[in-house]
Amino acid sequence: MDILNQLMQGFATAGTPINLLWAFVGCALGTAVGVLPGIGPATAVAMLLPITSQVNATASMIFFAGIYYGAMYGGSTTSILLNTPGETASMVTAMEGNKMAKSGRAGAALATAAIGSFVAGTIATLMVTLFAPVVAEYAVRLGPPEYFCLMLLALTTVSAVLGQSTVRGLASLFVGLAIGLIGMDQITGQARYTGGVPELLDGVEIVLVAVGLFAVAEALHAVLFEGASHDSQNKLSRVSMTASDWRRSLPAWLRGTAIGAPFGCIPAGGTEIPTFLSYAVEKKLAKGEHQAEFGKKGAIEGVAGPEAANNATVTTALIPLLTLGIPVSNTTAILLGAFQNYGIQPGPQLFTNSAALVWALIASLYIGNVMLLVLNLPLVGLWVKLLKVPKPQLYAGILIFATVGAYGMRQSAFDLVLLYAIGVLGLVMRRFDFPTAPVVVGMILGPLAEAQLRNALSIGEGKWTVFLERPMSLALLGVVLTVLVLPRLLKKRG
Amino acid sequence: MPVLSDKTRQSAVALGVLALALGLGWGAADISSEAGYAGVGPNFLPWLVAGGLAVVAVFLGFEAFTGGFRDMPDPQALDAPPVSAPCWSGFVWMSGGLLLNAALITRIGFVFSCALCFACAAHGLRQAQSGARQGLRSWWVDGAIGLLIAAPVYWMFTKFLAISLPGLTQSGWL
Repeated sequence: MDILNQLMQGFATAGTPINLLWAFVGCALGTAVGVLPGIGPATAVAMLLPITSQVNATASMIFFAGIYYGAMYGGSTTSILLNTPGETASMVTAMEGNKMAKSGRAGAALATAAIGSFVAGTIATLMVTLFAPVVAEYAVRLGPPEYFCLMLLALTTVSAVLGQSTVRGLASLFVGLAIGLIGMDQITGQARYTGGVPELLDGVEIVLVAVGLFAVAEALHAVLFEGASHDSQNKLSRVSMTASDWRRSLPAWLRGTAIGAPFGCIPAGGTEIPTFLSYAVEKKLAKGEHQAEFGKKGAIEGVAGPEAANNATVTTALIPLLTLGIPVSNTTAILLGAFQNYGIQPGPQLFTNSAALVWALIASLYIGNVMLLVLNLPLVGLWVKLLKVPKPQLYAGILIFATVGAYGMRQSAFDLVLLYAIGVLGLVMRRFDFPTAPVVVGMILGPLAEAQLRNALSIGEGKWTVFLERPMSLALLGVVLTVLVLPRLLKKRG
Repeated sequence: MPVLSDKTRQSAVALGVLALALGLGWGAADISSEAGYAGVGPNFLPWLVAGGLAVVAVFLGFEAFTGGFRDMPDPQALDAPPVSAPCWSGFVWMSGGLLLNAALITRIGFVFSCALCFACAAHGLRQAQSGARQGLRSWWVDGAIGLLIAAPVYWMFTKFLAISLPGLTQSGWL
């Protein structure tokens, strides 16, 4: 009952009024950025990274987790009510949710999305509670070769497997790795690519890259290419579900959770696969007139399942982040950056060295889920008003917050020029469909992977065969090869 | 401005990636290879990244010349977001706002500098939306809204979170 004890202590920490307030503000802010188009959780957390210099670690991690979570709830609201495809995570929700909204069932779609998110989020948090300490205990025994292989797996999947094109994914990854190279080499302390600029010795700030690539690039893309697009909005109906809606939603939530949760646990990332998988399963399992609703009137299962899968994946993604220190998405990469700002390196030792922080964070996930249910069911009408903010003011306002994040980190006006340059890079990447996640993940994971690689080679006395002699690392290399080759083979045959 | 073909633009992207690879390689030559026990030194990853980018650049160039980048999102797809003709004047306005902000933030303070950036960006976006000429009045409105956003943000971050942002006066309120 050690876990229960520690969880209770976590609740005690997370339950203090000030931490509850941080959680609440985080959830509210997260819902807002989720609802607003053009800004997501990764951007929001990145913009707020400067607070890590002033706010204590527990409070700010609770705050960031609230944003991370809240954005998932808020994102579904927008994808159901707005007739424009949003981010990939809620794309599947948009397919059926939009159809439901068009046939006057927006309220039921919103309700099943919110309650489904709550159910999946809570079950997945329970899994984090139970499994994360076990994984951490096991992970202590992993050596540098195994860590390097795990990181290689994460980097491979995020760049080469997810996304449309392997070539463009790899291009993004190498750009991210190159940005990560700038600064002092962790092992020998040698300066690399600093060009003699002392500010660059500490490396390029994550804030600059993330805010530039997401917020500034988004605004530049909007002004350059999206002038003529007009969003149309569906009408909101009463947010409630009938008995039949409940009967149809409940199994879909559970199935979605079961599909989504394992995907978060493996360092492979992405919510696209689990949400699409859940959608396919629901469509297949539906019978008679319910199946006829798919793609026409909009089937509630098609919203409930993917939405639950999405939340379950996002939540269990905290397991590899906390226990192995391996981020698999933009937002978890930036959360890792937040830990690093405190001098904390997530990994197996986190559960022993920073136990209070970890358990407070996990407890706050339970609390946050309840808060978000309240924020998103009775109060959904409030958030919908955010969709009325006209585009010029919305994007121009985002730029003000981008300035806060970029300038607040280092108090350097030069960083604002750099921010613009990265924004232009992001614009070009978006124009030619280069994915951005590999840049951010590569930039943060690159230096860690390099250190593990060199430590591993030290262990092997300079011989590369060290990766093949250890069963675990050999197995992991096999997995890396499989995820690289298998999709291609399937594509050829299919 | 002449309309460039997809081939030209994509080749330019490939060339850009190649240039980055060459730059990284050039820089990598200056990094010591002293490996110690590890067998690979601090210059290993730089060379790997430079080499990887060069290979990717070749692939991108090959794709650009043989029918364009593969697996691009279909602009004709039903759910594809509408893409309008690029509005360069709006882009210039927004870029100007951002760069002015960088130039002025330490001189006229966060609040006014950001309000100016807001007004320029909003002006650009509105131009992209309607293309119509906008009167002086919209500038005043945008400037006022910019101030109304920037000032509370400034107070919140400097007063509550103790993050230092530049002010115009020493009072700490503007």
